[in-house]
Amino acid sequence: MFKYFISIFFFFAVVDGFSQEQKTVANETEKDSIIYKSPYGIRIGIDISKPILSNINSGYSGFEIIGDYRITKRFFVAAELGYEEKTSDEDYTNSTSKGSYVRLGFNYNVYENWLDMNNEILLGYRYGFSLFDQTLNSFTPNVNNTYFPANSIDTPITASNLNAHWSEFLFGFKVETFKNFFVSASVSYKVLMSAKEPDNFKTLFSPGFNRIFESNTGFGFNYTISYLIPFKKK
Amino acid sequence: MKKILVLILLTILIFSACEKDDFCIQNPITPNLVLRFYDANDRETLKPVTSFYVWAEGKDTIFNNISKDSIYIPLNSLSTETIYNFSTDNIVNQFTINYTPKEEYVSRSCGFKIIFNEVTFTSDTTWITDFTPETLTTIDHQTTAHVQIFH
Repeated sequence: MFKYFISIFFFFAVVDGFSQEQKTVANETEKDSIIYKSPYGIRIGIDISKPILSNINSGYSGFEIIGDYRITKRFFVAAELGYEEKTSDEDYTNSTSKGSYVRLGFNYNVYENWLDMNNEILLGYRYGFSLFDQTLNSFTPNVNNTYFPANSIDTPITASNLNAHWSEFLFGFKVETFKNFFVSASVSYKVLMSAKEPDNFKTLFSPGFNRIFESNTGFGFNYTISYLIPFKKK
Repeated sequence: MKKILVLILLTILIFSACEKDDFCIQNPITPNLVLRFYDANDRETLKPVTSFYVWAEGKDTIFNNISKDSIYIPLNSLSTETIYNFSTDNIVNQFTINYTPKEEYVSRSCGFKIIFNEVTFTSDTTWITDFTPETLTTIDHQTTAHVQIFH
């Protein structure tokens, strides 16, 4: 009897097992198989507001080339390069600034495109740098009396190799009007970081920055047309 | 979040569009010469000059028959010398100011002001018995009197 005692214990041994494979959920709706790819590439263009302003305004001339390169779905590396000359005619001074500038930064597209649209509502940042000369053409000392009036001093004083660095925050739109052809408008708010000022005078206008206000800030406006050279689509 | 960002940017644009450098609110820009008249016997008390006429040499009067203990007068920025005639009770006292004018930049709206350096005063002492100081390094403001005149 005892001979089988241990063997009887084996009847109570339990083995847990499950031979069925896990069921997959096969009924989930399948994703739309059409994926709209958007082009990646370099986009170059010009600011068309500046040549127009040069024609209208006798005290201004300017030209600007723009370019950007798409790196991710929403980020674009952007740059602007230009030349400007502007005469600031104030109550007591008349001065001309001329020189070139470069702005480097990025744009972030906050717009969610439908289908294969390729438009942008962009927020951007730029670092700007300009190199310029400023000439004080003439000035009249502000003596505020008529008893001893002051004469206008017309000897031009030129300060060369001035520079300015600034930060710029911009907001704008970019619309694809034809295939690969874009029209864009943007406004920017600029904060001067540093500037080399002329002796006994101030930089009133810096190329690329526009008028420098008393608080070292400024505003810009761009109206550009550009063409996209697509490298790839994804 | 995006809408807020846009809104902030627009608010900055709107509220910073008006700038204070559009109008020159500083007045005066170029300082005038401020004179105060004191009693010659009691040099701490102000004493007004009566029937007082002031004119610059070869010019019209700027003060006509006034009675004041302090005046301010402009200096000629085109010259290094301004000669003033102070007349009280028909006695004329000539007061000469010599200086070096210099332009100094103020701001976009105000332009340049003139400051006067190395100022010296001389008087031919008819009714003015004394004055102080005789020299000033610079006249670049108009908030306090530059010369005290005793009579």
